[in-house]
Amino acid sequence: MTHKSRTSNKRLHVLLIEDEPSDAEIEIAELRHGGFDVTADVVETGDQVRGRLGKNSYDVILADYSLPNFRGMDAVDILREKNLNTPLILVTGALNSETAVECVKQGAVDYVMKDNLARLVLCVRRALEDTRLRQERARAQEQLAHKVEELARSNCDLEQFAYVASHDLQEPLRMVAAYTQLLAERYRGKLDTTADRYIGYAVEGATRMQALLEDLLAFSRIGRNGVTPTPVDSNTAIEEVLRNLAITLKEHNVTITCNPLPTILADRFQVVQLFQNLIGNAIKFRGRQAPSVIISAEQHGEEWLFSIFDNGIGIASEHKEFIFKIFQRLHTRAEYPGNGVGLAICKKIVEHNGGRIWVDSELGRGSNFRFTFPAVLADKAGKKEDYELSAENLVSR
Amino acid sequence: MTEPNEVDILLVEDNPDDLELTLHALRREHLANNIFAVRDGEEAVEFLFCTGRFQQRNFDHLPRLVLLDLKLPKLNGLEVLKRVKQDPRTKALPVVVLTSSKEERDLVASYNLGANSYIQKPVDFDRFREIVKSTGLYWMVINQRPLSNTASASRAATQP
Repeated sequence: MTHKSRTSNKRLHVLLIEDEPSDAEIEIAELRHGGFDVTADVVETGDQVRGRLGKNSYDVILADYSLPNFRGMDAVDILREKNLNTPLILVTGALNSETAVECVKQGAVDYVMKDNLARLVLCVRRALEDTRLRQERARAQEQLAHKVEELARSNCDLEQFAYVASHDLQEPLRMVAAYTQLLAERYRGKLDTTADRYIGYAVEGATRMQALLEDLLAFSRIGRNGVTPTPVDSNTAIEEVLRNLAITLKEHNVTITCNPLPTILADRFQVVQLFQNLIGNAIKFRGRQAPSVIISAEQHGEEWLFSIFDNGIGIASEHKEFIFKIFQRLHTRAEYPGNGVGLAICKKIVEHNGGRIWVDSELGRGSNFRFTFPAVLADKAGKKEDYELSAENLVSR
Repeated sequence: MTEPNEVDILLVEDNPDDLELTLHALRREHLANNIFAVRDGEEAVEFLFCTGRFQQRNFDHLPRLVLLDLKLPKLNGLEVLKRVKQDPRTKALPVVVLTSSKEERDLVASYNLGANSYIQKPVDFDRFREIVKSTGLYWMVINQRPLSNTASASRAATQP
């Protein structure tokens, strides 16, 4: 038997599992009174429930707890069997609270006593809202899972691309350079000076192409190799950088002042690379006076703020973001050598570790490169003295 | 080409242009007279283990050095390296990886499998020649090796 409402309120398609026609009438009337445009199918056996659920899509199921030939809770099993998420509310004459709680545990969304049907509308509204939220969440989760999968695939593609580039693009480059050089050797003196110069350009081009390729690969490698971050003492990292740059430091009479630095959670190799690129730049883009670099860090809430402050040529404000882009340069190769990858690598390292990097600078007034790193280590205070000790050793000329 | 039984250096390289460059550099330095080249990983394994095309070869005459490219047809260089280093008869044989790339994962995998050295071929041919010269000089002249690869390896394997 099917009941139809004449009003134009919110449509509600109900499956009523009820053997008492008058109870069914009262429940439908209650829902209509609550503002629903009700369409209801009333059934009273398991076969009927199965049959209806197979053909229709219901917004809610109202089930009597016990019928002569069926238990309301059996409908929960049928729903599960059919993989349906339709909310089921028990509507029952007599039910002690323990049984009611047990039913909710087993999968009914709620229960309403027949002597308190005023709650029915509220229960149905809540069940509908819960179902809607659940569906939305499920959809969102599905989308997220899809995105994650897509991302994993694209990372895998990138990894494969970089690997192939590393092997297969370098080989032909070597062939160009090597055979041009062999050509030059074999025909030395038999060609004119223009030919010799052209050969020089070809070799130079191939060599530079390899350098670009290596830089591009180094850039793509950050975050690609899946290294596990470990505690890295920045002071030790700086010591290593100063050893790597020893010749340059001496050659340009550089003063490095290093204040105590914290231990951070990162990949040691990347931290060294970050400091080395920044300190290297401070020396490369030096001004008229001998280069001076001041390195320091202070804690701001949840993060460390590092500063690499130099007295070099500085950067005009309109270029402050441009310089962090890969292969972007402000000077010709003749003025300052390089491929424009160093700062892009710094940015990628910092951001990969959850920080930010920027520069405070004015043309002709030095640059202050600043970056943040999450302060995640618990025992910072305990290690402070160590920092100061090693920092003293670090002040070098 | 050199007789398979009198080989000093086994060169595993699939690219003929690249092969010619390496041969050119090695011969110029007169560091090895007997160089044998194979063109893929499968051929390298057959040569070293005296199977297939090389079943007539004598196992006692292992080369003194293997120069191994990594990207090879059929069987890649890492797989060749693995087989050489896993077999007690060949594991003492010095294998130097000589390849275009210096991908970290290739370096790690090569050393984990027991490579004796890893060299990236530079683009500049003069530098490549320098590298081939030092490599040849080191492994053919400076480095000391047991009189027989096979015997020493099996003795070492049976000692506690």
